[in-house]
Amino acid sequence: MFPQFLKGIRFADLTWAGAGPFSTKLFSDFGAEIIKVESGSRVDPVRAGGPFKDGVAGINRSGYFASRNTGKKSLAMNLKSRKSRDILYDIIRTSDVVSNNFGPGAMERLGLGYDEVKAIKPDIIYLSMPMYGEDGPLANLLGVGMTISAVTGLMWQTGYQGEGPIGPGTHFPDHAANPYHAAFAMMAALRHRRATGRGLKIDLSQVESTINCMGLPFLEYAMTGRERERMGNRSPFHAPHSIFACQGSDDWCAIAVETDSQWQALCQVAGLTELADDPALTHAAGRLQQVERIEQAVTLWTRRHGAKQVMMLLQAAGVPAGMVMNSRHLMEEDEQLRHRGYWQTLDHPEIGESQFTSPPFLLDGERVNLRRPPLLGEHSGDLLQQLLGYSAAQVQALRQEGVLE
Amino acid sequence: MSTQPLRPYTGIRIIDLTRELGSYATRLFADLGAEVIRVESKQGRGDRQQPPDVAGLDSHRFGGVPYAFLNANKKSLTLDLASSAGKTVLADLITHAQIVVYEAGEQADVSLADILAVPGARIVTSVSYFGLTGPYSHFVGTDLIAQSLGGIAWLSGEPDKPPLQLAGQQSVFVSSLYAAAATAIALWDFEATGHGHVLDVSAQEAIAHSLQNAIQVYDLEKRISSRGGEGVRDATEAAYACKDGYVFLAAPLSLPASWNGIIQWMTEEGFDGVARLHEPDWADRATRCKAAMRSEFKLLFERFVADKTKQEMRDNALKRKLVMAPVSKLADLQDDPQLVYRQYFQQVSMPGFDHTIAFPGAPYRLSEPLWQIERGPPESGRDSEAVLAGLAASQKTAGGQS
Repeated sequence: MFPQFLKGIRFADLTWAGAGPFSTKLFSDFGAEIIKVESGSRVDPVRAGGPFKDGVAGINRSGYFASRNTGKKSLAMNLKSRKSRDILYDIIRTSDVVSNNFGPGAMERLGLGYDEVKAIKPDIIYLSMPMYGEDGPLANLLGVGMTISAVTGLMWQTGYQGEGPIGPGTHFPDHAANPYHAAFAMMAALRHRRATGRGLKIDLSQVESTINCMGLPFLEYAMTGRERERMGNRSPFHAPHSIFACQGSDDWCAIAVETDSQWQALCQVAGLTELADDPALTHAAGRLQQVERIEQAVTLWTRRHGAKQVMMLLQAAGVPAGMVMNSRHLMEEDEQLRHRGYWQTLDHPEIGESQFTSPPFLLDGERVNLRRPPLLGEHSGDLLQQLLGYSAAQVQALRQEGVLE
Repeated sequence: MSTQPLRPYTGIRIIDLTRELGSYATRLFADLGAEVIRVESKQGRGDRQQPPDVAGLDSHRFGGVPYAFLNANKKSLTLDLASSAGKTVLADLITHAQIVVYEAGEQADVSLADILAVPGARIVTSVSYFGLTGPYSHFVGTDLIAQSLGGIAWLSGEPDKPPLQLAGQQSVFVSSLYAAAATAIALWDFEATGHGHVLDVSAQEAIAHSLQNAIQVYDLEKRISSRGGEGVRDATEAAYACKDGYVFLAAPLSLPASWNGIIQWMTEEGFDGVARLHEPDWADRATRCKAAMRSEFKLLFERFVADKTKQEMRDNALKRKLVMAPVSKLADLQDDPQLVYRQYFQQVSMPGFDHTIAFPGAPYRLSEPLWQIERGPPESGRDSEAVLAGLAASQKTAGGQS
C-alpha cells in the first residue's frame, strides 16, 4: 500500500548525508511532500559515495543515496545565490517543516537561521540536528556517526573482553537513534502546532539523543556507581551467551541461554550429557563461573554443524539461537524476511531495478510500498511552476543563470 | 481551567503491554504528556525482574535498572488478568485508549487476539523479535539473537575474531524508535479519519533496516560488508590508546582537513613518525585500507599521543578541525563540558531511593518545555485506584451521552 497518512504536509528539506535524510524519508513514505533542497555544485556526499550500480560512479547511481531518499522530490539550486534564497523563502512560506543536519551556524550563513525562517513563516517547525547541539563549548567539534559512538559510551562499552574499545562497525547512531528520535519529535511538533497554532524549534543534539540509547548501562552506573568492563558477546547475568563458530570458515551462530530450562534443552540438543548432569551448572550463577568450560563444550558441537542448522535445532527446542547474518544471507537466504515481503524492488532511470528494505513493520498486514528516489534536480522545474507559479521561460532563465543546477 | 501546559500527547491514553522491545516506545510518548498505563498481573509484570536489580530494593515491587529507565513517567495498574473480571477491566481500559502497545511472546499476560477483539477503532502496535507472521515468528529472541539475525553483529568486531554485539541492548532501542515513530504517524491518520490501524513491528527487520549501506553494497556491487571494514575502512579510523584512555580518530583522504591537520600537528611537534606518512602509499586510498597499514598507523599514532590526555586531544580536535573525540566511559558523561553546559542530565526521584538519580535528558530539545520526566518508574499497582476511578468516570460520561 501507499499510505497517504501525511498527505498535505510539506518539508523544505535541507538534510544531507545519512542521518537527516533517513529521518525525512519516513515522512515521504507516508505521503508527505519532501522537497529535497540540494546543490549540484556541492552534492550530497552520499550521492558521491558508493555503492554504485555495477560499481560505476555517478551522482544518480548511489544505492546509499537511494535508500535514504525514497519518494522525495529534488530541487537543485546554487544555495549561495540571492535568487535561490528567494525561491527557497517562497517554498518555505508554503511548507510545514524546514529540516537540516548541518553543523552549528551553517543555516545562519545561508540566511536560513530559525529566526529568519520564523520571520517569513511564523508557525514553521524547524529541525536542526548537529552532533553536539547548537550551542556550548564543544558545539563545533566535528562529528561523524563514530565520533558520536565515542563520546556517548557506546564505543567504550562495545569490544572484546580484556581488549580495547572497538565500537559498532558502522556509524550506528546515524541509522536509527538519531533519525527516528528526530522523526518522533517532528510528529510531536506537528501535533503541537495543530493544537496550539504555534510552530516549534527542534534542536536535536545527536550525542544527547544517542545517550538515551545507552540509557540501560548509563542508569546502571548512575544507580550503582559501578561501570562494567567490556564483555564481548557474553552477558553478566546469563551463560552461555555468545556467538559460536560453526562449520564453515566464517559461519557463526549466537546462542543466548536465559533460563535454566533453556540450559537443559541446549545440553540435550548438543549431547552435553556431562554438563547437563553437573549440579554446579544447574543455575546461571554456577554457569557464569565456568563459562569458558561451557563455551568450549558448546563450540565442539557447533563446529560440526552449519550455523543455520545450529539455529534450527536449538530454536526447535526453545533455546534462543540465531545465525549471524551478513548482507547476502539477509537478502538471499533469510526465509523470514522473504516470507514477510521485506525486500522491495524499485525501478530507477539510471540504476535500473534494485532492492530496498521496507519500513520494518507491516501496516494493517501489508507492506508500506516505496517510491523511487529522485534524480538530482529532477523536480526543480515542476516545483517552481506548479508550487510557485513560475513560467517555463522563467525556469529556463534560472537554469541559464546557474541558479538552478 | 487547568494550568498544565498543553503537551503534544496530552489526552492520549496508551495501554502498555510491553516488556522490553516496546517499552522505550511508550516511554517516548509518556515524556510528551501521554497517559501511559502499564496493565500488569497482580504479582507485577516480569520485566521488573530484568537484571541488574539494585541491592536492597525489592525488584518485584520497584523493578530493576532496565525497568527504571524504560518506565519513567508511566502509570501502573494491577489486575488479575487470568480472571474474566480482570479481562473485562482490561477491555474497558482499551475501549478508552487511543493506542495499545503490545509485546508478543511466551511471557505475554494477554493475547493479541483479545486486544483486537475489543470493539472500537484505535492503534494497536505489536513489537516482537521477528514479527507476527512467518516461519521464525515463534522463535525465541533476545537482544543478541536480534543483533545476529538482523545483521549488525556481522558488521562489528575484528576480521580474525567473532562478530560482536553492540553494548546497551541496542535492539530494544532500534525497535522501539521505529515503533514509536510509526505509531505516531498512524495516530495522526486515526485522528483525521477515525480509521484504526495495526502495526506489526519486527526487531529483526528494524536492525536490518539500520545497516548503513551494507544492503546496497551487496545488491549493487555484490560485495559483502564485513566487520572491521577490511578493504573499506581507512587505516586511520579506529580508537587509539592515549595517556589516560582512548580517542577515536577518523582521518581518511575523504576528510582532508582531518588528515592534513594530523600531519600538521605532528610536524609542529617535530614528531619523527610524520616522514613516513608523507610517503606515496599514504596517498593511495585503496592501499590505506589494508590491514598492514592499519597496524602501522596504530603503532605510529599511539606513539604520538602516548603523552597526551583525552582532554588535550579534544582541545586539539576543536582547534585543528580534526574528526577526533575522546572515547568516553559512562562515568565520564556527567563531566562532559558540553553536556554540563547544556544541563543535559535530569535528576529523577526514584521509589526506594532517598536521593535522586541522574537520567539521560531529552533526546531532542523543543523550544517549549513540553518534554519532562515528571515521575520515576511506578511501583507495581501504584495507580490502580486512580486509573479505575478515572475509568468509571469516563464510562459514566459515555453512558450519559448515549
